[in-house]
Amino acid sequence: MKKFLLMVFAAIFLLTGCGNDKKSVPTGEKTFTYGTIAYGVAMENVGTNPHESYSGWSTLRYGIGETLFKFNEHMELEPWLAESFEQVDEFTVKIKINDAATFSNGKKVDGAAVKKCLEALIANHDRAPRDLKISSIEADGQFVTIKSAEKMPALLNYLSDPYGCIIDVDEGVKNGIVVGTGPYKAVKVTDTQIDLVKNDNYWGIVKPKIDKITVKSITDGDTLTMAMQNGELDAVQGLPYSSLQLFQNDNYKISQVNTSRVYQAAFNFKNPILQDLNVRKAISMAIDKENFCKVLLNGNGSPAISPFPANLTFGDKNFQPITYDLDAAKKLLADSGWIDSDNDGFVDKNGKNLELNWLTYTSRQELPLLAESAQANLKKIGVKLNVNATDNYKTFLKNGEYDIFSKAIVTAPTGDPEYYFTSHIVPNAVDNAGFYDSEQISALENELHNTFGANKRSEIAIKMSQQILDDCALIYASHLRMSFVMKPNIEGFSAHPSDYYEITAELDKK
Amino acid sequence: MKSLTPYFAAAGTLIFIAVFADFLTPYDPYVQDLEGALTPPNSTNLLGTDRYGRDVLSRVIVGSQTTLCASLLLLATISTVGSVIGAICGYSGGRLDTFLMRLSDIFLAFPQMVFAIAAAGALGGGLLNAAAALAVIGWPKYARIARGLVLSIRSMTYFDAVKMSGSSSVQILFAHVFPNIAGPILVTAALDIGTIIMELAGLSFLGLGAMPPTAEWGAMMNNGRSMLQTAPWVILAPGTAIFITVATFNLLGDNLRDVLGGQR
Repeated sequence: MKKFLLMVFAAIFLLTGCGNDKKSVPTGEKTFTYGTIAYGVAMENVGTNPHESYSGWSTLRYGIGETLFKFNEHMELEPWLAESFEQVDEFTVKIKINDAATFSNGKKVDGAAVKKCLEALIANHDRAPRDLKISSIEADGQFVTIKSAEKMPALLNYLSDPYGCIIDVDEGVKNGIVVGTGPYKAVKVTDTQIDLVKNDNYWGIVKPKIDKITVKSITDGDTLTMAMQNGELDAVQGLPYSSLQLFQNDNYKISQVNTSRVYQAAFNFKNPILQDLNVRKAISMAIDKENFCKVLLNGNGSPAISPFPANLTFGDKNFQPITYDLDAAKKLLADSGWIDSDNDGFVDKNGKNLELNWLTYTSRQELPLLAESAQANLKKIGVKLNVNATDNYKTFLKNGEYDIFSKAIVTAPTGDPEYYFTSHIVPNAVDNAGFYDSEQISALENELHNTFGANKRSEIAIKMSQQILDDCALIYASHLRMSFVMKPNIEGFSAHPSDYYEITAELDKK
Repeated sequence: MKSLTPYFAAAGTLIFIAVFADFLTPYDPYVQDLEGALTPPNSTNLLGTDRYGRDVLSRVIVGSQTTLCASLLLLATISTVGSVIGAICGYSGGRLDTFLMRLSDIFLAFPQMVFAIAAAGALGGGLLNAAAALAVIGWPKYARIARGLVLSIRSMTYFDAVKMSGSSSVQILFAHVFPNIAGPILVTAALDIGTIIMELAGLSFLGLGAMPPTAEWGAMMNNGRSMLQTAPWVILAPGTAIFITVATFNLLGDNLRDVLGGQR
């Protein structure tokens, strides 16, 4: 009898752990639970203070803050907190703040508040001062006048970066919470979750409709998939591509958009073998981008030609693709003296096989797939590729222990091409992992840096991308398609090409 | 007496498959065919294909080589090294014994898998580094057992007789000590094979063992993890292979203990 009772208790104890932990929700209150892989310590975006690392992405994505200008689906700027602007001269821009704009605490957003916020940004942020190059800010009523230390044709684009979210600096940062102007207010912020409530003082014409929002960081793709399947989440971002097909039915809605996130691989020019254009071109020709996108990304990406996707004026549509052609690749290698003289399956020169190390990381799950498919394809042209997919990749980068380094990067976060060239392509750029050094690129970058007007800047950007492609300095494998999966009763929740805007005032649950 | 034949036969078959894996695979386990990716099991690909279009059966067969050979080699190394250290400690005693046993205490104080994950991570992954990490944490168990056995042998009269006969220490160790402790060590090792296979596969599953494109069961399961619902054969095939192998060697070890050790 004792044993029986024990078993009954044990069963009850175990089964209570299996139940759904659904808290009772007061009737009439709308709640929204959102699961994402994109929030967390590894992404350097915990907290909501835009003046700290990448936390501004969380401020903007989850509807807490807003920037002066925002990007439309063509990545062109539109007024947001700003109403209009005037380019006074090549160094000065005068911005008029929308008269209706208020912080979530009810305080008016005026020139002085914006000045205070931007000054705090420059004083505290690591990237912003380098990007913005602001020399002085003046406030007058609803106007702010920003002077730059040098010509800054893309200043407004940079101000629309998530770090440019306007917050009430006087309120400070309390437990990771800031006072912004967005449709929602953060009430609790941890490393894995953000709790939001409706901002009743929201100044926009469209008012927020959800009472409580929970943003949950779930970094494991399978856990995320299952949480969505069993109804714990209302919407989800960052599902593994292989799981996406589970949601392609009437029980779910999917919003997809092409982003400017590109999977690229940079050749290390410090390796004498890779200084040979024929070798770089042969390797580029051996990457089967079509099948990588179709099969390994399950169609959730489009083959890339250049750093920028086709929806941008300076994007893929301006360039001829490098065709996947193994025979032509073999011929190029042979032209440079790389032939398989010892019949071991790998081409060699001076008694040494053509063996390269491909470095990448695993936190972007598509990168190891690209590496492994490249490995198999390069074997077909006689190149031995060793894949090192490790999240400790920074050590290898620092020690120069790689011949090809592949990564995922948003190339046009500000809708302007210059950011990508200055961060990844020009000599001495922080992320120029391949040590690519081109005189033409340096001259063109100088020209771009001093040119105003979107059309003229596009023309120069096209020339720069063409130069990279002519030099085969990098391989552009694919542009990422971003997907949001949601329950059918969720409305106003759609993926945006910038990857910045997720929760907005439009969000509703029917 | 219990018959060990069926268990040896099963384990022998697995070892045979591992040794001759290259000749047994129906297809090249490393050739990708993206057009034929994720084909469910059929008459051409008996266990289907993975996301790169590689034949899963061929990869499971070749994976047995990686997993099983690495595990057996690792086990042979740690059991030999551990036993020798233990025997020397037990035989010589004194400061050397105290030092080595305190060292083994330190290693035994760490949870084995946690230490292996940390060490393999610090060494930078790869099957060799994973095996090295497991070896560093694995030897003290054998050293402890060997030392205990040698201490009990030392108290026996035949041991005093051997000593009085004027044999050298090396002679005593090799002719009288090792043969007498070999049985229990062998049983422990046989029982350990399953654990070692699981641990190596575990490290590979975490991305700290075999590197792509090496076919290894743990790494294969990790690759197929996100496809459990959409293409279950990719993860079930290596998973079943691990289950069968571990079960076989555990049964062999259990029965070997019954026969050799005479205790349960």
